Amino acid sequence: MITEPVAIVAAGAVTPIGADLDAFWSGLVIGTDGISRIERFPVDDLRVRLGGEIKKLKRERQGDCRASQLLFAAADDLRARASLDAPPARVAVVLGTALGGVEEGEKALARDPSARRAAAALYDGPASALARRLGARGPVMTVSTACASGATALGVAADLLRSDAADLVVTGGYDILCRFVMRGFDALRSLTRDRARPFDRRRSGLLLGEGAALVLMARDRDAGGRRLGRLLGHASASDGAHVAAPDPDGRGLERAIREALAQAEVGVADIDFVSAHGTATPLNDRVEAAVLRRVLDAHAERIPVNAIKGALGHTMGAAATLEAVMCLLASREGVVPPTVGLEERDPECELDLVATAPRAVRPRVSLSTSLGFGGCNAALVLEGDGR
Amino acid sequence: MTGTEVAAVGVVTGWGQSVVALPSDAARAAGGRRVIAALRPSLVGERFRRATRECLLGVAAVEALLREASLGREEIRGGETALVYVTAAAYGSANHDFIVAEAADVGAGAVSVGAGAARTEHSVGGLRKAHAGPVASNTLHFPYTAPSAVPAEVAIEFGLTGPYVILLGGASAMIDGLWQATLLLGRGQCRRALVLAVETFAECEPLWARGRWLLRPPLVESAACALLVPGPRRATYAPASTPSPLEALVRVRAGETLACAPLIALALARASGGAGPLRLTGEWRGRRAGLVWETP
Repeated sequence: MITEPVAIVAAGAVTPIGADLDAFWSGLVIGTDGISRIERFPVDDLRVRLGGEIKKLKRERQGDCRASQLLFAAADDLRARASLDAPPARVAVVLGTALGGVEEGEKALARDPSARRAAAALYDGPASALARRLGARGPVMTVSTACASGATALGVAADLLRSDAADLVVTGGYDILCRFVMRGFDALRSLTRDRARPFDRRRSGLLLGEGAALVLMARDRDAGGRRLGRLLGHASASDGAHVAAPDPDGRGLERAIREALAQAEVGVADIDFVSAHGTATPLNDRVEAAVLRRVLDAHAERIPVNAIKGALGHTMGAAATLEAVMCLLASREGVVPPTVGLEERDPECELDLVATAPRAVRPRVSLSTSLGFGGCNAALVLEGDGR
Repeated sequence: MTGTEVAAVGVVTGWGQSVVALPSDAARAAGGRRVIAALRPSLVGERFRRATRECLLGVAAVEALLREASLGREEIRGGETALVYVTAAAYGSANHDFIVAEAADVGAGAVSVGAGAARTEHSVGGLRKAHAGPVASNTLHFPYTAPSAVPAEVAIEFGLTGPYVILLGGASAMIDGLWQATLLLGRGQCRRALVLAVETFAECEPLWARGRWLLRPPLVESAACALLVPGPRRATYAPASTPSPLEALVRVRAGETLACAPLIALALARASGGAGPLRLTGEWRGRRAGLVWETP
């Protein structure tokens, strides 16, 4: 390996289809639809009033912003599966987010003049809050490569471990549904009034969702027998093309994928499964499918591809981490979840898509792709521990 | 892993162009002003008509870098240049405008289009209103609320298509960003790395005033960019318990510049011509990170 593999020891999550990792996974496999009418803030004036909203958290604490609450819920789930057995100064936190604490900014500007609210509006606030809660005193970082953040965060976390700057890293991504982001995407007309249909001929846009996903990472040699899987390679690349739209040729995404595969020393023939970004916007899915066909070449016909945003909505900063975790669970459980919302395949997105039902396959090596505002592209190469 | 070196640093601050413009004592030079605002760079081109001030400051910092290094744009264009961007505050301006625009829309029943052009203008001497009309608005403005908007505009302007990392936080996050750049170079993922920071404060000045336990005035709007290339120096990344002399110097001379501070420190170190180990530190939210560049 060009870069040392890093163990993904365990994961925790909170999502619109399940309040913990087990519920998330079972929801994915049975094709649960996590989309509902948004209730937590006013949406009556918006074109689209649907999203992947988490209706109830197990423990809601007064005073914590919602982003922190989602993170704490995912962290509780993670810690129920693995302990942080390292000195606090050797435990790092690396989180990806597209929105951080922006809802606190809305409140601070609108009605709450407290210093606490103003500080919480900074996007890196929730990462600090999580580090305090975990007692982690190592590096604390916030990555914000828009909707690719949850992938980039895992890559930065792996770098911390390889550089011996930490022994354990709690890493992943999160974002909340709030009026700020709903209003923005609604104004851009990126949201669909139908349902999110990744790679479907009738797809007409995305739906937003919220969630948090965390994984515990360690150097592979330190992980012992405990692991969900390994991160073999990661890479990012800029489109340098447009502030809000993907490069129509997907050149940045292609560079990120090829570099991640090179880092992992994995050939296309070794890939068993692809978790696509699959937002269900007309442009994203067409660009992504074309890139995957170029990269996978003749293997495109035999490598299963799915996209889970039809079930969850686009959870932004959480999305890529949730998708990475899904890849590892697919390996462990021997099944690839379906692409909820995909019913009529788009001839322009010709891939071996796992559509309406789960597929019994046990992928060892998975590729996960992500794109985001600002021309952000990221790719992860993961190895599951399934046997 | 190969070593690295800093080939050039471009700096633009509310005090003026380059570190030559920095006063000897920022607090005294501020004369009680809480924010020292940077001018909106006057860049030409249709694409910049809607770009926010913070985006233009990012572009201006890279242009300052190219001037200092005597490099042409074509020499950084393409997939072999990484872009690492760090900020603690710059997205706040666009977020502020987007949030305030909703309140204005609700009050006036109006929606306007455009971002930077309709915003309050800033000069070194303070603030002045550029337009009487409504502030920034919905459709075209929303993408600029993302922290990735500034590096996106920079990447588009200079044709940068290499590795791409965006970190959020103050000076310690910039230390993290510089470390990321050394890794990308060391692994051969790029041949050069631009490490960029932009910090703006003026639009959110009342919010920053509430968070004074996080930072001390004067808050000095800044944009800075360093060019890292393969070289003889080995970079060591580690926590730091105390501020380095360079961190203290930047604090005195520039004021509070958050993520820009370590880059300004690099520029000051280069201006002084010191040849020994380069010790950078940066603090944010109680965490101080350090990076030492030395020749083995």
